[in-house]
Amino acid sequence: MSEDALPQLDPVIHAQARLRVTVALAGLRADDQITFPRLQQLLDMTPGNLSTHLRKLEDAEYVEIEKAYEHRTPVTLVRLTTRGRAAFETYTKALHQLLDATGG
Amino acid sequence: MDDDPAPMSAEESLNLIAQQHRRMRRELGGGPARMLAAWALAWLLGWGLTYLSVTDVVAIPGWVAGVVVAVFFVLAMAYTTYSSIRIGRGIRGPSRTVGAMYGYGWALGSIGLMVIDIRITNFNALSSDQVSLLWSGTWLLLTGVMYLAGGMVWQDKLMYGLGGWMIVSSAASVLVGFPANFLVLALCGGGGFLLASIVYFLRERGGKPAR
Repeated sequence: MSEDALPQLDPVIHAQARLRVTVALAGLRADDQITFPRLQQLLDMTPGNLSTHLRKLEDAEYVEIEKAYEHRTPVTLVRLTTRGRAAFETYTKALHQLLDATGG
Repeated sequence: MDDDPAPMSAEESLNLIAQQHRRMRRELGGGPARMLAAWALAWLLGWGLTYLSVTDVVAIPGWVAGVVVAVFFVLAMAYTTYSSIRIGRGIRGPSRTVGAMYGYGWALGSIGLMVIDIRITNFNALSSDQVSLLWSGTWLLLTGVMYLAGGMVWQDKLMYGLGGWMIVSSAASVLVGFPANFLVLALCGGGGFLLASIVYFLRERGGKPAR
């Protein structure tokens, strides 16, 4: 297989922290949202670190962040967009293609 | 915080995905295997003991068996409620709405069933054996219908099948009569829960993705 036939890995997802965030969000059912603290707990990330990576995912429109109020307490709700879900599927497909190509 | 400096190989990346997947499965629950196991235990032991006491195989008074059943049911209910709340922590959206509706559905159905059965029992028109059939039949029927509903909302054929089985058991419990109806509750009801629980456990180990 020639070099340029190999698929490109989406740079937004292909970074340790953001990949884990994406996997966690993809593990929820479509249209479900997760609160920031629970997501943080599932990932063992600091709030600052998680916010940074969520912002990058949001810029790519892979993630939707909603600020809402529950019983007058502000909550941050995060959800993977349809676009984000599709990007993650493309990404994992590309990984498998790369492994196949390198005989891994 | 900076971006991860070292680029990952495709293999490292897949490992990371698998690792986070496992974490999600552990935290969000792979399925209802554990909850069903709790109910299997409650039905098998509770109703099994009731059967043994009404047939005088074991010499314990009827009220002791009744208390044991009540304790097992309260424990199983507490466990189910606790783990559903724990799993659903921080999750919002359709899953939560459906889960809450299903939970309230159980509560509403149980209260309705109890009002009807207690009222009929209090007429004193039925013999105590017939009253026993009324309770086992209606209780299994409600259980069956709720699992049918669960199978529909979560598009889960196994759960739907469990519901169907419970409805068949409901009819069987009335047809076999007292005291074999308790045997149907324990073996068909409890056994049905146990079998479903085992299948879910095997599926979880097989690595189906978390919902």
